[in-house]
Amino acid sequence: MGKGLHSSMDEREIVAGCLKGATGSYQEMVEAYGSLVLAVALNVLGNREDAEDVFQETFIQVFKNLGRYDPGRSFKTWLLTIVYRRSLDVIKKKRRFSEFAARAKSEPAVVASNPGPKHGGPEPLPSRFLKTLSPKERTALCLWANEGCTARDISEVLGCSASTARVTLFNARRKIKTFLENEHGVLQNC
Amino acid sequence: MVSCKIVNALYAAVPSRLFRDVLIRTHLEKCEACQARLVSRQEAEALFVKPKDVGAVGGLWRTIDRRAGQETIVPEKRLAGFRWEWAAGTAMFLILAAAGFWLLRGVQTGAVRADYARPADRFEITYINVGGAPAQAYIYQPAGSDMIIVWAGKTS
Repeated sequence: MGKGLHSSMDEREIVAGCLKGATGSYQEMVEAYGSLVLAVALNVLGNREDAEDVFQETFIQVFKNLGRYDPGRSFKTWLLTIVYRRSLDVIKKKRRFSEFAARAKSEPAVVASNPGPKHGGPEPLPSRFLKTLSPKERTALCLWANEGCTARDISEVLGCSASTARVTLFNARRKIKTFLENEHGVLQNC
Repeated sequence: MVSCKIVNALYAAVPSRLFRDVLIRTHLEKCEACQARLVSRQEAEALFVKPKDVGAVGGLWRTIDRRAGQETIVPEKRLAGFRWEWAAGTAMFLILAAAGFWLLRGVQTGAVRADYARPADRFEITYINVGGAPAQAYIYQPAGSDMIIVWAGKTS
């Protein structure tokens, strides 16, 4: 996989430590891959709260199923596959309850007010242009731009063929370029 | 430039992923003019939150640690619960099956009885006893009706 945050030796050591049940290795894994997991989830979902839920679900799943991990594959790809699937679950859940949420919004007395960012100061959020892409396209573009992933890496994460990943990435790049150009045109006309 | 137009038209016209992949690999990935119509890696990178921007994940580790500690017990609990669920489910199924069998049996019996209770073409009363003594019987049939009324009165 493209840019490596950690060498494969570190990766193997962390995974081996976790398999032995060493709590220190679990923490090491979260510290090593936590930022990556949170960033990808944030880029796919577009909000911090859901991204943090996905972050937790991902690592819990990783710790539970680490025995099933194939050391022949890249750990980072396996991890990102879980992040993508958990993010899709959140999106599906949100879609299912969107009708309810719309009703709740019209009844402000029932819904608690949004507490806002937890840590003070604005949270970094992905660009609003990304909302025009499907979750699959967002993930493909994010992995390509942020992580330097190839179509093959992306296909492993998305669980599709390399050609599908290539087409998805191409469509995402073209859509975003069109939106950026349109936005630039609007700004110039103002 | 002409080939670019043809390739882009073909890309838009044929929605087959395999065909589009061929177009990407043979032309769109290599052609500078076509690449200019796509967002570059640098442009795309600026749209996303980078791992270094998300802040410390130490606080989230504590939550995971707590949850992981709790959830290590969960599989055993879930297995035990699973067995109980199976036992309760099987018992419920047997009860419902028995109740269903009993009810269907009743319906079937009712159906047979209903068959016997069809209007009779002919009936006969051979003997009427009221208060332990033979009764005086009167038979009426209202004019223009199939109804027959049998009146039995105690003999004085």
